[in-house]
Amino acid sequence: MIIDALIPPQRVRLDAECTSKKRLLESISQLIIEPDAPSQLDSTRVFETLIAREKLGSTAIGRGIAIPHGRVEGLSRPRGAFVRLKQGVDFDALDHQPVDLVFALLVPEGADSEHLNTLAQLARLLSQPSLCASLREAPTPEAVLALLAVNVAAVGSVTA
Amino acid sequence: MDIASINHILLVGGFLLFASILATALSARTGLPLLLVFLVVGMLAGEDGPGGIVFDNVAAAYLIGQLALAIILLDGGLRTDMRSFRVSLRPALTLATLGVALSAGILGALAVAIAGFDWKYGLLIGAIVGSTDAAAVFALLRHGGVRLNDRVGPTLEVESGINDPMAIVLTLLLIEAIRLDRSLLDPAFALFFVEQFGIGALGGVLLGLLLRKLLEHLSLNEGLYAPLIAAGGLLAFALITQLGGSGFLAVYLIGLLIGNARNTATFHVLRVMDGLAWLAQAGMFLILGLLITPSELLDSLGIALALAFALMFIARPLAVTLCLLPFRFRPRETLYIAWVGLRGAVPIVLALFPLMFGLPHAQTLFQIAFVVVIVSLLLQGSTVALAARRLGVVLPPVAEPLRRTDLPLPVEPPLSFMQFKVEENATARGLSAASLPRFDNLQTIGVVRERQLRPIGEDCRFKAGDVVCVLAEEAAAPALVAFFSDAQAQTQSADDTLCFMLDGRARLADIRAFYALDLPDAEEQMSLSAYLRLRLGERLVTGDTLEIAGALLRVLEMHEGHVTRVGLSLTDGAR
Repeated sequence: MIIDALIPPQRVRLDAECTSKKRLLESISQLIIEPDAPSQLDSTRVFETLIAREKLGSTAIGRGIAIPHGRVEGLSRPRGAFVRLKQGVDFDALDHQPVDLVFALLVPEGADSEHLNTLAQLARLLSQPSLCASLREAPTPEAVLALLAVNVAAVGSVTA
Repeated sequence: MDIASINHILLVGGFLLFASILATALSARTGLPLLLVFLVVGMLAGEDGPGGIVFDNVAAAYLIGQLALAIILLDGGLRTDMRSFRVSLRPALTLATLGVALSAGILGALAVAIAGFDWKYGLLIGAIVGSTDAAAVFALLRHGGVRLNDRVGPTLEVESGINDPMAIVLTLLLIEAIRLDRSLLDPAFALFFVEQFGIGALGGVLLGLLLRKLLEHLSLNEGLYAPLIAAGGLLAFALITQLGGSGFLAVYLIGLLIGNARNTATFHVLRVMDGLAWLAQAGMFLILGLLITPSELLDSLGIALALAFALMFIARPLAVTLCLLPFRFRPRETLYIAWVGLRGAVPIVLALFPLMFGLPHAQTLFQIAFVVVIVSLLLQGSTVALAARRLGVVLPPVAEPLRRTDLPLPVEPPLSFMQFKVEENATARGLSAASLPRFDNLQTIGVVRERQLRPIGEDCRFKAGDVVCVLAEEAAAPALVAFFSDAQAQTQSADDTLCFMLDGRARLADIRAFYALDLPDAEEQMSLSAYLRLRLGERLVTGDTLEIAGALLRVLEMHEGHVTRVGLSLTDGAR
């Protein structure tokens, strides 16, 4: 997984204010289509996909982190967006913690094992308590991405 | 008896109890079973040890044994959560009845074959050592810091609670058969059996309901509820025994009915009863240790050891395997249940019965029972936790708050006052109260910092070393503990990888729209819960896992037999 290719600084929003899980998913659906989204990709479709996944069970993985995700047509490669909330919202997590770090991931239809791989790596990446503590402190979108990239390298070397 | 000798008894009794309770600190360090400590202290104080006390009053030991057993069974009933009956009742009942009879029969046959026992005596020793000990099992499990899964734990617990009456009735029956020199097929014995269980069960339920009603309407000083229940239990025990029923069964049922009522009366009782049951155990083992003359154990040591091993490695495993056959337990779970057939106080007390009735060979029976219990405690007792981990029947431990006090507020669900310490690397560090796990009735009280209680304002950030005080329901405790304790340490415990969640009601077809999972035998319209039950069996419990290509499904939450939440961990293809 290469962070640079997955998410540019424009799709990182820090200290956003949000009152509910639904609003949060709406705003991240907006965020993830810019910039230069393929023409078929619009925020309503993204939102519907993410909501459909949440209906099957929460994508909150605990400790204030959620990874909403879904498959969409017309995408040629995975696409991510990251939002850090000023104040967490209830995300129906197993540990009851409000979620304040959200990494949304869209993947193309079809590429099944690749899709699951990216998702698995992302979940493992964000399971690291030390990384999440740093993400909560990071001052800029660039800093967030740098943290993610460094840790991807570390996780990658562990599994390889 | 003059005043001086009464005081002498008090002096010796007090000293022994005191010394053995102190000695339990040793047990915590060495992992030796507590009961063994009491037994050894008793033996040291006895005629072969430095204490040199000559105690051979079987009647007194019998009285204390009966009293202690009644209290222990009452406490066992109080502690048995009827909600666990869904999975455990039928297998446990089978083990407690058929299992005891089978294990007594098999051991009896072996005793006849190995030691040339008369077959009635063989069966008698089988019955005497036939029941497992609830207190011994659970003291050891708690001590070992092991939490068993909901199939194994409650099955062992319920089994050990209800198999004592069966062993007691069988023992009494065999003693009668030997004493009166009658055939076991005599119809009088069938009647005896029916009476013991019929009157015991009926009387236990009736008196239990009565006592429960009484407790609901009675307003007493908090401290008096436990003694009242204990006295009520003893009264019922004696009454039912007088009527020809099994007082032990009755007192267990009474505990069960009261313990599951959950009202303000039972609120304070458990902790007090815990101490009482513990004292009963300790006192009983001390007395039994005093009663035995260790040098005499040598007389029948060979036979006793042979029978102890025959019980552990042949009779119990065979009986357990046969009994659990219809219930589709996993082989390693069956194996574990077979291994944790821990013997405790009951066999030794039962071995006093032949002595009381003046049966021939009663001494030998007593010595054998004694050795069987000691070997079981030493060998099985010291390996309960190890075996549980090896056989994979454990659940991740539930951490407890730093301190928890139940508050008798008239609210539903009941609230507790809890304290948590913020550890280094905790998720909580640097966060404010707004990030606390969300529970409807959670109230923050304050945070203790530099020995001062401060209010938790909006700008208050948790620091390592803080002690956070909240009011919350019991169910909130695990989430709060996780929030305040070291997250790094939590991820290092192997199974605790963070996972996505799936609702148990979700349709497989909908799940497949998101993940191309390979689910053998799946029908598209089936719910995930139904699918897991299809693949893993009806008796699903929290913690069960299903491994499929590329993913691991783990049962996270159950409600009334249905899976409500499932964890989905994706394992990437690289592995």
